[in-house]
Amino acid sequence: MIIDVNACLGHYPFRSLRFNTAEKMLGLMDRNGIDRALVSSLHAVFYRDAHRGNEELFEDTKSHGSRFIPVATVNPKYVGWERDLAEAVERWKMKIVTLVPNHHGYSLADEHGRAALTRIAQYGVPVMLMQRFEDRRQRHHWDRAEDLQVNELLEAAGAHPTLKFVLVNWLGLDGQRLVEAGLKGRCLIDFARTQVVYRKEVPKLIEALGVEAIAFGSHMPFDYVGPSLVKLANVRSLRTGDYEKIAWQNAAGFLEIEG
Amino acid sequence: MSRPPAALANVGLPGQWRAMRKFDAHNHVFLSGRRSNTDWSDVDNLIEAADVLGIERLFCSRPITAGVMANIDVVRDANDSVLAAMKRHPARIFGYCFVQPGNGASALEEIDRCLDGGMIGVKLYNQFRYIDPVIFPIAEKCIQRRIPFLGHSAFLTDPRTLAMQPKTSHALDFCALSRRYPELLLILGHINGGGDWEWEIKGLRDCPNVFLDTSGSVLEDDTIGLCVRELGHQRVLFATDATMEGCVGKILSAELTPTQREDIFWRNFQQILERRKA
Repeated sequence: MIIDVNACLGHYPFRSLRFNTAEKMLGLMDRNGIDRALVSSLHAVFYRDAHRGNEELFEDTKSHGSRFIPVATVNPKYVGWERDLAEAVERWKMKIVTLVPNHHGYSLADEHGRAALTRIAQYGVPVMLMQRFEDRRQRHHWDRAEDLQVNELLEAAGAHPTLKFVLVNWLGLDGQRLVEAGLKGRCLIDFARTQVVYRKEVPKLIEALGVEAIAFGSHMPFDYVGPSLVKLANVRSLRTGDYEKIAWQNAAGFLEIEG
Repeated sequence: MSRPPAALANVGLPGQWRAMRKFDAHNHVFLSGRRSNTDWSDVDNLIEAADVLGIERLFCSRPITAGVMANIDVVRDANDSVLAAMKRHPARIFGYCFVQPGNGASALEEIDRCLDGGMIGVKLYNQFRYIDPVIFPIAEKCIQRRIPFLGHSAFLTDPRTLAMQPKTSHALDFCALSRRYPELLLILGHINGGGDWEWEIKGLRDCPNVFLDTSGSVLEDDTIGLCVRELGHQRVLFATDATMEGCVGKILSAELTPTQREDIFWRNFQQILERRKA
């Protein structure tokens, strides 16, 4: 069993993606032994009204409920966002919400970011923060969004002490700093960009936060799935690793979903 | 080379993937700085990871980065550390000689010294564009000694990064150098090292003598497929540039025939090395 916590559906404006529809992604998951995936909508990142992307995502995934766990996207600068969030969480039962502050033009610490994080915490669902979609060294002329910064994350964690965080596609997370920010026990981190062997960022995070903090994530369909499958296989070479927890149990427990 | 336990998980991966022969055509030693003559942790971690991933040989350099125009003494010291790593792990670590072309005749003498020490090629970083005539004596030396020239490359579209690396060469620079020296064994480094890799691959279509390596921290889907479709798989060399798991995983995920995968993993680079003996 594998649950992938780092996946998106939809078009990306700056590069062709091969497996970006529900049907195509299911085929990709089947070929790679991935049972379930958290999927957010790329359209929700780029539409002015992010919630239209949520509506599409809900429609696209509702007939594949056993495979996809849709992630709602909220733009707290857009009119009516609180009602949209309520629809996603209460009516559609979405179990997790993502924010893309650098694409929607605010920060986690300003009035918009604080309001969104507070509201998400009130619903008792985790917030997903993706550090980046692509490497900025290849950015399109119109791609102006910067990567999320570690300090911004740590400040948000401190300001919202009951909120749970799913951190995907991050590099540069220091386990001790996450502990100091109070994130031990309330964060789940994928290893799409970190290493199990050689640089050993994953065992260092496990040492600081416990193996419960680590989850499988591939960043499909942007990235090949193979890199994360290799890392998952290498988890068994770690003294501190726990294959089943990282493959799916941690994600299932954190999101309170069935495996 | 020690082998990991056969029972390690293989979900979603080809059977026996660890046992597939692999030569890493682009990697490094001591990039994070060698703290003392007795601290081998960086090199030993590299070998430990290679063991887990089934990488038999690692072709490594220690370039001077960050735009530094190093003098020849600093360059020699960097190459000495590679020679020391080769001695510590013979038959596993092989060396590229880093040179700074601005050092003139000393750079050419350094190549001879490195080759005499057992290195197999030359690695250049981004101190000069590869269309700069200062590069030509280095290229001619590589031809004379029948060794590969591995060059740092990226087509950088981010203005901030480009400002920090204004002399980074891209595919068309490699093409220009290759047209001037068709017999040069020229390798475009890290197609996924940051920058527009689609631009780089398409830029190499009309330059049949330029190889590329698959290394880099970017793991984007279809990179390998586009390389093979546009250039042919025999111009594609497996490499990691320290992203070891990710770069093995890319080759395993790519839609390749078993023969193509084997050629990319090691045989294409082996054939480059054999040209030196011919």
